[in-house]
Amino acid sequence: MATAELGAARLGPSRAMRRVVGAVTFLLPLLCLFLLWPVVTTAFDVNPRVFPGVGMVWAALVESVRDGSLFAHIGASLGRVLVGTALGILVAVPLGIAMGVSSGISTFLTPLFRFFSVLAGIAWIPIATLWFGYGFGAITFVIFNAVFFIVTYNTLLGVSAIPMRLRHAAASLGAGRRAMLTEVLLPGALPNIVTGIRTGLGFAWRGLIAAEMIATNVGLGYMLFVARDFYRTEVIVLGMIVIGALWLLIDRLLLAPLERATIERWGLVTRS
Amino acid sequence: MKSLEIRNLQKTYFDPYAGTKVTAVQDVSLDIREGEFVSVVGPSGCGKTTILNMVAGFLPATGGEIRVGGRPVKGPGADRGVVFQSFALFPWKTVLDNVGFGPKMRGVPKAERDRIAREYLALAGLSHAADRYPNELSGGMQQRVGVVRALANDPDVLLMDEPFASVDAQTRMTLQEELTRIWQEKQHTVLFITHDVGEAVFLADRVVVLSKGRVMRDIPVTLPRPRVWDEVTEDEDFKRLSAEVLHMVRAA
Ligand SMILES: Nc1ncnc2c1ncn2[C@@H]1O[C@H](COP(=O)(O)OP(=O)(O)OP(=O)(O)O)[C@@H](O)[C@H]1O
Ligand SMILES: [Mg+2]
Repeated sequence: MATAELGAARLGPSRAMRRVVGAVTFLLPLLCLFLLWPVVTTAFDVNPRVFPGVGMVWAALVESVRDGSLFAHIGASLGRVLVGTALGILVAVPLGIAMGVSSGISTFLTPLFRFFSVLAGIAWIPIATLWFGYGFGAITFVIFNAVFFIVTYNTLLGVSAIPMRLRHAAASLGAGRRAMLTEVLLPGALPNIVTGIRTGLGFAWRGLIAAEMIATNVGLGYMLFVARDFYRTEVIVLGMIVIGALWLLIDRLLLAPLERATIERWGLVTRS
Repeated sequence: MKSLEIRNLQKTYFDPYAGTKVTAVQDVSLDIREGEFVSVVGPSGCGKTTILNMVAGFLPATGGEIRVGGRPVKGPGADRGVVFQSFALFPWKTVLDNVGFGPKMRGVPKAERDRIAREYLALAGLSHAADRYPNELSGGMQQRVGVVRALANDPDVLLMDEPFASVDAQTRMTLQEELTRIWQEKQHTVLFITHDVGEAVFLADRVVVLSKGRVMRDIPVTLPRPRVWDEVTEDEDFKRLSAEVLHMVRAA
């Protein structure tokens, strides 16, 4: 007990330190780009129709926050992502586990899921609009689709990578089918599942923006697309910054820590 | 506790790559009485792990019969605790939860199974590691957790596949003494597989020498119990038996 606490205390500050250093090294290049921007636009006297100045984008930000339109777009986009992702995970995880337990089925289906993982997201937009029309259905389908194939594939991979001896060990300790699922298969595949969600969401996010340009009248993708019609480069750039920043926030603050928590803690190494 | 009867056991693997059949277990019959400790020794590849896997119910036999407490084995079950050659700890569970897994499957409440797990961990000198994850332990510590996890579930039959292979010599002796002590108290029926002839003799009531998938010899060990290494090392019977078994294993 005492040694364990000692160990944790010893690790504590260095781990926090590493996190700070990690954040700085991540943010510094972005900051540089941000500082370079006004220098370049003023030095070369760039036409705002080609690329806006910092001040213009700032004004666009203030305006869209004040009239609430920015939050409406963000809300719509995040809502679609949430619904599509939740549905995708809900269907993909049980299916992936069911497929992964049988090595015959997983060998057969792996190439199919690899194929569809490559197509995930954007490539489905045209057919999604034919099936669901323009609006919520088509966009959510694109997100669901991106998450579903990648998460199913990763779950399947995760389950089939669980060493047989762990399933044997659980069975000889009295685990039934249910306990095998909750105590062995699910936690065993979890690092892969999380990696799958992270990759799938990346595809989903890109797919979302693309789909919103075509199939709706609210959302970040729509915001970009409409601004283009009015030559509002400052709104386009604002939208791009928001899209990138939101994704980085989701990925770095939500998904990466989740992945780290499972993989590092358990000493497991997974590949997506 | 329950007896273990193995009758004319046979196992033929099919090697899909070579397209050939490999007979790992030719014809093995072995009876282990209730509460008896039997060691199985034999050269690498003679079928020891294969036999254990069939007794555990992980692997179907291609011939013969296995009965535990008179009932034919149909698959894995909590009546047969297994200690794996390769530990097989759950990486996502702490040491405490690994050891408490069997009791959890029996529906023992959390507080009670933690108490049981801590008690067994203390036996193996692992109290300080209770809250760690398996990957944070040395190989020897993981192996001890594997042993303790099987013991904590209090099975009728204990099946152990070289459980002390990856601990240092000193720790191994301590663990062997610990195991005989626990076994004398709980009277499990034990099938213990090992390469180590001295270990086989030290622990067992009988040593079975296996060769090419058959039982070559079955030797009773009548050394007095409790056994501790300080005394047993000097014992003439121990020396004679060990030399005899070693000779047979080398001839196998
Ligand atoms: N899954 C398998 N498929 C094909 N052949 C196998 C399989 N498992 C084991 N064998 C073969 O069966 C024989 C017995 O193997 P087994 O693992 O039972 O030996 P062992 O006595 O436990 O050896 P060791 O002391 O090295 O652990 C070996 O020739 C091995 O190559
Ligand atoms: Mg073996």
